[in-house]
Amino acid sequence: MYGSTVRMPLFTLAMVGVGLIVYLLGKLIAIDYLYFAGYTVLQFVVLAVAWNILGGYCGYVNFGSAAFFAMGAYSSVALHKFAAAIDKFFDEGVIASVLQAIFPLPIPVLIVFGGIISGLVGLGTGYLTLRLRGAFFAIATLALAVVLQTLVINWDFVGGSRGAYIIRPQSIPVIGSYIEYLFLIMLALTIVALCVARAIERSQLGFGFATIRDDEIAAEASGVPTLRLKLIATTVSGALMGMAGAPFPYYIGYLEPASAFGLAYAVNAIAMPMIGGTTNWIGPLVGAILLGMLQQVASVTISSAVNLLIVGILLVVFVIIAPVGLVGLVQEFLRAAAPDRLTPRALGVLLIASYGIVAGMFGVVFGLSAAMAAAPAVGAFELVVSVLLIAAAYGLLKLQSWAPVLATVSFVLLIPLGIIQVWAVPSLVNMIMYGSAVAIAVAAVALMQSAGVKSLYSLPRGEQRATS
Amino acid sequence: MEFSADLLVNAIVAGLLLGGFYAAVTVGISIAFGILDIVNIAHPAFIILGSYVAYIINSTLGVDPLIISIVMLPVFYALGSVIYQVYYVSFEKRGQEALRGLAFFFGLLFITEVMLILVFGVDYRYVEAAYIGPSLRIGFVAFPLRMLVPCIVALLMFLALELFLSRTFTGRAVNAVAQDQLALRLMAADPTRIKSIAFGISIATCAIAGALLIIIQPVEPSVGREYIGRVFAICVLGGLGSLPGTLIAAMLLGVIESLTATFYGPSWAPAVAFGILLITLAVRPAGLLGR
Repeated sequence: MYGSTVRMPLFTLAMVGVGLIVYLLGKLIAIDYLYFAGYTVLQFVVLAVAWNILGGYCGYVNFGSAAFFAMGAYSSVALHKFAAAIDKFFDEGVIASVLQAIFPLPIPVLIVFGGIISGLVGLGTGYLTLRLRGAFFAIATLALAVVLQTLVINWDFVGGSRGAYIIRPQSIPVIGSYIEYLFLIMLALTIVALCVARAIERSQLGFGFATIRDDEIAAEASGVPTLRLKLIATTVSGALMGMAGAPFPYYIGYLEPASAFGLAYAVNAIAMPMIGGTTNWIGPLVGAILLGMLQQVASVTISSAVNLLIVGILLVVFVIIAPVGLVGLVQEFLRAAAPDRLTPRALGVLLIASYGIVAGMFGVVFGLSAAMAAAPAVGAFELVVSVLLIAAAYGLLKLQSWAPVLATVSFVLLIPLGIIQVWAVPSLVNMIMYGSAVAIAVAAVALMQSAGVKSLYSLPRGEQRATS
Repeated sequence: MEFSADLLVNAIVAGLLLGGFYAAVTVGISIAFGILDIVNIAHPAFIILGSYVAYIINSTLGVDPLIISIVMLPVFYALGSVIYQVYYVSFEKRGQEALRGLAFFFGLLFITEVMLILVFGVDYRYVEAAYIGPSLRIGFVAFPLRMLVPCIVALLMFLALELFLSRTFTGRAVNAVAQDQLALRLMAADPTRIKSIAFGISIATCAIAGALLIIIQPVEPSVGREYIGRVFAICVLGGLGSLPGTLIAAMLLGVIESLTATFYGPSWAPAVAFGILLITLAVRPAGLLGR
């Protein structure tokens, strides 16, 4: 893969650098809502990367991501409640005063606690079920969520089914607003998760995981300690999910079992890596950022139930027609279209296709929201164009001969759509968004009609590989 | 709660009736997961779908939910066959059923649930039928008809499936498809077609199980999730693919859950199934009557 030679310390540094840039950009814009939305997206990145360590690298499906996430969140709630009730547990004395001095614990410490608890739960579940066929582990994790939820509902100390209020401080020293602080913590956690995932991928551990995924019996026979490796994977994956959950009560302010154990976390943790691609750390990152932002937009413009429906449908569509995920599609495309070095022609098609997928997905959301409310006709038109765009982008990446024609058609249709949108609501945001969409559409049509692209798609696929 | 003999007997009877119903909910999974090796975790979602079909027709036309479920059998059978075709072409043929097949069914589960929420909301829905109110009394033991009727229907369905699987050529072929596909081909039966029939039957049972569910309790879209742990616990405890084992395990779980609910409180009942599942997986993964 491109850029796979970068060493680990350098990679970590680069990640921290990217994180800093993201943080400074946030500082520059300084809208609190962006921190709220950004926190949610980053939380999904951590969950997706964590899920992928077990699901993508080892091939074991975990349906209980919500349970691990909630364990982290509830360990924070328990410690918070404990801090409030120290004088009930201990009489006046040395222990009480020491505890009074330590509590309330800072969030990074809570994250470590949440990670340990969820890691242990992962280890326990794995130990009981991983000796059997993979399906049993998947089923056990599914049931685990129900049981842990039952336990929490019956545990009055953390609020039971009524839920628990966590009153968070208004501000924090040095950084300022509390939500900014939470965002920064989640950003740091994201960097940690990505570095852990990449380090595993490139270590002996990662190769061990890959042998389990490809053929467990053969791995076992050649002396790979499969059970131990699988237990390591469940523990690390569970711990990261718990760490993602630990700051959650402070973010949300009020935690109840139904929201902490919500199916949304489970389905997103699976859908994001599956859509992004499961073989390396970039896949879950891409999938989580794309789907996370899409859901933020969808829950503002439509409703949260519809955005979950979109995720479910995307998951099913992707596992059927693009099992390798977006990153896998891009890799396959580059292998076939530009095996030696990245040609401008391949890069152009790649950019157009990526744009088609991203714009198409957001277009579906905008189209749906318009079709259901303000402008049914325009919304329906936008919906159709967006679906065509996604199909065209998929075809372009798969080197299908029909793809350039479909891409041309959908980009041509996009031009009047953009003009109608700006004409209907001539706001600055619309002008920038649809104006650039029209400009890109014109460029895309020109590229699709160029001789280089035509020749790329005129050869049958088998010949394509042979000539290149 | 105070312990007393008639409370205990009543709890056990209620548990056995519940167990009969659990058997109806699980039998589809026993066929799909136990015999065909298709981990259909969306099964409970299809049961809820069956409940809602019963609810819609019952509330608009006033037809008895059990009659509706029998009329709906071919529709659900067709649905099952279509799903199997998609599953076969997309995953089984490519050998990807382990990871992506599971994700596929998880997606189906999720889509069904969210669609039902979007259309019907999260209100509890129920059906009207003559046998929902009254109960039969023998001495101090109560048999609520609301539980008794589903239990009897479930047992009849169970009997019919057991006879089908052990006495007919197609039924035996279903059993054979898991064991030796080549031998099945030599008997001039197409494994894919047999599996498609079996999966169709597995989903068809959801029509009946769904109607029974909505007779027993009011239903909302996320109720299905509670049944995921239950059905797989019963299926594993009974020994994968063994129908008599499934029945015994279902009765056992019903009684244990009923006792737990009576003596410790109903909020603990969902944890029972998982406890049993984990203990079974750790101690005897082959189940009670496993092969």
